[in-house]
Amino acid sequence: MRSLDIGATGMLAQQLNVDVISNNIANMTTTGYKRQRPAFLDLIYQNIDKPGSTSSDSGTIVPTGLQLGLGVRAGAVYREHAQGPIQITENTLDVAITGEGFFQVELPSGDTAYTRDGTFQLNENGELVTVQGFLIDPGITIPQDALSIEINREGEVLVTQPGQTATSSIGQLQTARFVNPAGLEAIGNNLLLETDASGSPTIGTPGQNEFGALQQSALEQSNVNVVEEITLLITAQRSYEMNSNVISTSDEMLQTVTQLR
Amino acid sequence: MENSIYLGLSRQITLRTNMDIIANNVANMNTTGYRGQNTLFQEYLSKPRGYDDPLSFVNDEGHYQITAPGPLRQTGANLDAAIVGEGFFSIQAPSGEIEYTRDGNFSMATDGTLVTQAGFPVASAGGGSIIIPPNSSQVNIDENGNVSNQDGVLGQLGVFEFENVQQLEQQGNNLYALVGGEAVPATESRVVQGHLEGSNVQPVVEMTRMIDTLREYQTVSRAMERENERLRSAIQKLTGGS
Repeated sequence: MRSLDIGATGMLAQQLNVDVISNNIANMTTTGYKRQRPAFLDLIYQNIDKPGSTSSDSGTIVPTGLQLGLGVRAGAVYREHAQGPIQITENTLDVAITGEGFFQVELPSGDTAYTRDGTFQLNENGELVTVQGFLIDPGITIPQDALSIEINREGEVLVTQPGQTATSSIGQLQTARFVNPAGLEAIGNNLLLETDASGSPTIGTPGQNEFGALQQSALEQSNVNVVEEITLLITAQRSYEMNSNVISTSDEMLQTVTQLR
Repeated sequence: MENSIYLGLSRQITLRTNMDIIANNVANMNTTGYRGQNTLFQEYLSKPRGYDDPLSFVNDEGHYQITAPGPLRQTGANLDAAIVGEGFFSIQAPSGEIEYTRDGNFSMATDGTLVTQAGFPVASAGGGSIIIPPNSSQVNIDENGNVSNQDGVLGQLGVFEFENVQQLEQQGNNLYALVGGEAVPATESRVVQGHLEGSNVQPVVEMTRMIDTLREYQTVSRAMERENERLRSAIQKLTGGS
């Protein structure tokens, strides 16, 4: 019976759906996290009677045919890069991007990763780093005697030093944009890597052209909408149950057959 | 003499087909743009020698697509599009032919080509691909399927309608191939950006049909069993066996 296997493909698909939803819910307070969605596709069809095949010598044709579908598969799990809500913090080194763009992070391996998480800190040399201590690219070093740090919407980092009234510029933050951000590969720790599908990055100044502006003392929260996730979770759970119902019904039909004498 | 058993068997075979189709509908309950299927059965009359009345077998004749629109879900993604009306998007299938889909969950390939989640390029109204340049900031899709960025129109999504929508053959990957009749540019359909059309499978209906199928299968089975008993006791009585 095909329906047994078809029910199984349905259950597998719903299981993946629940996996993706639970990861979204788990990350609902992760800074800069973007929600994921699975895309399902129907499997190939078996042609029992091809539509349009002739049904008599006088040339009449079968109007609809008989095609049996073989179930469902997950085609992709993609990321929805909608803007997350901005939360104001008191930390001068927190930076949020409003609009498109990613911060560039230098990995210990020397590769560049991308992130929307602007929770920056300083390391022992006064360099701007992520929470894991990875350097921000281009590098910014804050002088030890800096009294105040200001990051403007174009990403220019300004400091006030003792004995001076005017602020002086010590560096410029740059962001990267991708044609298809949904194609970026997530590696955990809020970091993403460039792939063939995302295209190569365009580096630019925040707040100019298509690049989103920066906002100091603010963080971009996760774009997960809990109500939406719970609704999807209910749907996924019920679909899972219905698919398991299909399997038990097919089983009962087979049982009926074995009881025939 | 065994005709009644064969009559039951013909029904059981069709009920299994029915169950397979219901299973596929349930499995695709969350597949974007999926359209449920229903089976059609027909009577197959056969007049054996020595009988005055013909016997009526059941034969699975085909299936048809349920054409009710699926529910629209707002996603907010600017490359998602749904169709309100009877139209289908045109897609360049790997076979080289144009195939059709109701699934407007589009994405971008490396070179900016608009593709489906399975990676097949979306065919524009004229037949070519739609390429979104890297510097696009905001992509808009209007009611007629025109895709535009800040610099102007990039192309028009191919949206087609059919004289008889039942002449579309399912190909998997949410695609349909046209096997007869003609595809005409849509006049009655409207494209809605930022939305996706869900599957039009109605779980309650499918579950009810499934229970129906199961019970009918069991009833036919029981009838066959009784017929078997009847034959056995007839033979025993006629042969005078114990």
